[in-house]
Amino acid sequence: MKVRVDREACIGAGQCALVAGSIFDQDDEGLVILLNETPGESSHAAARKAATLCPAKAIVIEE
Amino acid sequence: MSNQSGSDEKVARCPMPEIRRIPNDGTPLCPSSTFATWREEGAATPLEYSDGHIGMIINRYELARMVLEDKRFSQSPPRMPAHHGEVLITGYELISGSELDAGNVLGLDGEQHARIRRTILNRYSVKSARSYESDMKEIIAKQFEILKTQPRPVDITKHYSQPISAAGHMRVLGIPEQFRSRYSELFVEESETDQKIAFLREVLAVKKNELAEDVLSDLLRTDLTVPEIEGLTLSLMVSGRDSVAYMISTAMTALLNNPDQLEALKNDPELIHGGMEEFMRVGAMFLTVFPRTATEDIEFGDVKIPAGVSVSVSPVAANHDERQFSDPDRFDLSRDAFGHMGFGHGIHGCVGQQVARVEIKTAVMQLISNTSGLRLIKAEQNEPIPFAHPVATYEAGAVIVDWN
Repeated sequence: MKVRVDREACIGAGQCALVAGSIFDQDDEGLVILLNETPGESSHAAARKAATLCPAKAIVIEE
Repeated sequence: MSNQSGSDEKVARCPMPEIRRIPNDGTPLCPSSTFATWREEGAATPLEYSDGHIGMIINRYELARMVLEDKRFSQSPPRMPAHHGEVLITGYELISGSELDAGNVLGLDGEQHARIRRTILNRYSVKSARSYESDMKEIIAKQFEILKTQPRPVDITKHYSQPISAAGHMRVLGIPEQFRSRYSELFVEESETDQKIAFLREVLAVKKNELAEDVLSDLLRTDLTVPEIEGLTLSLMVSGRDSVAYMISTAMTALLNNPDQLEALKNDPELIHGGMEEFMRVGAMFLTVFPRTATEDIEFGDVKIPAGVSVSVSPVAANHDERQFSDPDRFDLSRDAFGHMGFGHGIHGCVGQQVARVEIKTAVMQLISNTSGLRLIKAEQNEPIPFAHPVATYEAGAVIVDWN
């Protein structure tokens, strides 16, 4: 799995940091930062959930 | 209301197309059956707007998400769905028609929207929400002590939910202590838009000389214009304050209506995290979010939305769509309710949702963990009551409880 984030699209709702805090965080502007581009299998479900919940479709997952 | 339902019967017998307005015969925890009827009929069905426009309401979850994610819709023009029944509180200052509209995030599209919204994101991040936790706990514990001094049975909306949400809102925004009682008077009670604007100008003038670590200080540090700052301040002072109070009271009503769920939560406090999402799913405040208008002809499968037509996504309808949530009318703290539309979705999704989660979860747990034999005497919201705002949101109503 490879995760990409689009900081231009991000609107800082924080859903990703809430449900997948080991993969996503928010910087000092409240925008998404990617902590782990290639999360391990145990985190795949959380990564997918974050992508689904993102209100701005700023998370793309390639599997 | 009797006139309204009388005219409905007339319309139903009439060969003319049915006039469809937001139904007012439901409650937050038991939505009008009309939403289920419309949802069965189609993902989108006709809806009348208060200016006579015939647009649509979005009833199903999947289409609701697609519409709110689609940049071909605009927040303009600012029209409202028509609804049955009276409105309890008018003057939801999101359409002011003044220069402050420049900062009204809910009325803006594209770049201007992003520019304004980005100035405040940091104070509403997950990290920031966690940093407020200890202050929120203190606010809530203090209010719980005040609640205990009230004669019982007691209305928790008035003596718990509303004071907590006002204090929490003031903390995050950074409204100085000396403005506390006036903020509550103007924004918890009813007031004119002009009074609210005069008030926020006073607050901003004071804040300018004592910048701190809060939303208003951040705003004053930006390069936004004065109308933009004032418009955004107005939006922030109005939005979220009432909805946090509403959701504390509605979550408590849901728990007290379902004693098995209340017991489950008391026995396993960790349930509150998923439970928070379930509160938002079953108790969504907005019957519809603010309408979007198609800027070009848009098609989603069979649903055709011509340019100029307004559509209103209904979080209430989407959250009860059995295509997304199994047995949707059942309140179940242990289900995975993430993805609900309770905070909206898309670029206008609730900016304060992470802070709201902290406040609501803490307020609910404080109340249920520190009382024994907590029981509902009467929740006004268990019967239909007038909507709170022109866009049609549910009102918390008095939630009267007692305990041993």
